[in-house]
Amino acid sequence: MRLLLIGCGVLLRELSDAIVHSPHLIDVQFLPTGLHDSGLKKMREHIQEATDAAEGKGYNAIALGYALCGTGLADVQARSVPLVLPRAHDCITLLMGSREKYKQYFNANPGTYFRSIGWVERADELQDQVVGLGLEGGLEALIEKYGEDSGRYLYEELMSYEHSYSRLTFISTGLEVDDSFRQKAQVEATEKNWKFDEFAGSTTLFHRLLAGDWNDDFLVVPPHHRIVATYDDQIVGAVAIDEPRK
Amino acid sequence: MANLKKLYDAVLNGDAKTAVAVTQEAIAEKLDPAVLISDTMIPAMAEVGRLYECEEYFVPELLLAARAMKGSLTLLRPLLAASGTKPTGKVVIGTVKGDLHDIGKNLVASMLEGGGFEVTDLGADVSPDKFVSSVRELKPDLLCLSALLTVTAPSMRTTIEALKQAGLRESVKVMVGGAPVTPEFAREIGADGYSENASQAVVTARQFCHPDKAA
Ligand code: B12
Repeated sequence: MRLLLIGCGVLLRELSDAIVHSPHLIDVQFLPTGLHDSGLKKMREHIQEATDAAEGKGYNAIALGYALCGTGLADVQARSVPLVLPRAHDCITLLMGSREKYKQYFNANPGTYFRSIGWVERADELQDQVVGLGLEGGLEALIEKYGEDSGRYLYEELMSYEHSYSRLTFISTGLEVDDSFRQKAQVEATEKNWKFDEFAGSTTLFHRLLAGDWNDDFLVVPPHHRIVATYDDQIVGAVAIDEPRK
Repeated sequence: MANLKKLYDAVLNGDAKTAVAVTQEAIAEKLDPAVLISDTMIPAMAEVGRLYECEEYFVPELLLAARAMKGSLTLLRPLLAASGTKPTGKVVIGTVKGDLHDIGKNLVASMLEGGGFEVTDLGADVSPDKFVSSVRELKPDLLCLSALLTVTAPSMRTTIEALKQAGLRESVKVMVGGAPVTPEFAREIGADGYSENASQAVVTARQFCHPDKAA
């Protein structure tokens, strides 16, 4: 098979590992990690643009190294080439290795913020692009733009989530070259006064995505269908483009 | 005399100090607080909402405007209560269970307050039970549910079911929102309303609340 992988930068290492282990010919395009923050509409547009650009290049399928990501992938359409993506809410699901594990951990541990290799080494890229929230330059930039009093107020409001979370969980996938990623996550937890936890994740979903091993943990979107959120355990579904909206 | 144009601008520009100062002047001059709200605060917050919708204002500007508005409302509210003025409607709002995203919910709550509603904010990670008991106690006209995760959006359905089970569904309108929520999903789970953003939420909320009914 000839596949095009369109993946999120935050998963670069996990997806790269899966490429190495795939029997298929794979071309690769990574989109900026910052799409996570950029607003769901923009995310959709970027991914559609990238998949559209792959038309007519002889791919058997386009593998999306993404999850539903809010509804950042909902409404993305397969033109003539099928799209395939894991049934997952977000990259946290992918890193943990299954939607069941995610659901279980999520329900048992509310108030958890997650880190992984990518979420550690690309933390700045994620922060940088929180478009419209005004956090790009931190406290200094807010003070410069809005004045001392208002700048401080905004910083406190926008950072107040630090008080509502209680735990930081590092998801390891076995791809960590050294202990520095885990350590950084642990330092962050200490700084924010959160409990530190570790979760033994997995690269299974990445490997299966690129091995073409698409069982019911994956959605294959046939040509002329679009991705929809199902808001249930299936997470995503495909409906024909010409099917009217409910 | 208290300069109401100055109050309007202070809210619009997120200048809490000026907003409070002008409100104090107005109170000293015995201006009717209900008129102050309907003729100055509500139009100012409506304009803030409009600027946000057309992307001239972003989250920081909204937060600052809301702070200025709240500074003024804190002074006016006791006077309103004393004079027996009814709010546009009573609202209970919260982010659903498991979800800690609250920026959007806070903005919706602020815009509703700025629209003359009495708002009780239950915070984030609110369980269906908690929503039910709050509806029972506070008897709001409208319950607003926010979710930012597709993982937690189904909790909106669970909350509506819990209201039904408690026999309270007919007593309150339910409006849902948050980035992953679509009008289709809102309809499917049996919500009464949906809005895409904080300023539309005020418009929709008005349709559900009739102050004359509150008497
Ligand atoms: C800021 C943010 C955070 C902040 C939240 C800070 C806070 N105090 O809320 C932090 C950094 C803490 C965070 C954490 C996480 N986040 Co986050 N986050 C975002 C982000 C970038 C923006 C959300 C936001 O505040 N927008 C600004 C506000 C103003 O917009 P809004 O919330 O949509 O609200 C507007 C409307 O929707 C509407 N509205 C909102 N509520 C209501 C209610 C009613 C009744 C009505 C009518 C209208 C309405 O009006 C509002 C104003 O106009 C989104 C991506 C995005 N662009 O949406 C991801 C996003 C929501 N997060 C996501 C993820 C993955 C996470 C984490 C799991 C990441 C991690 N590494 O752990 C954790 C979640 C942990 C948990 N247990 O909850 C994913 C969701 C995936 C999913 N499963 O569905 C998103 C979609 C990013 C993505 N593209 O993948 N996040």
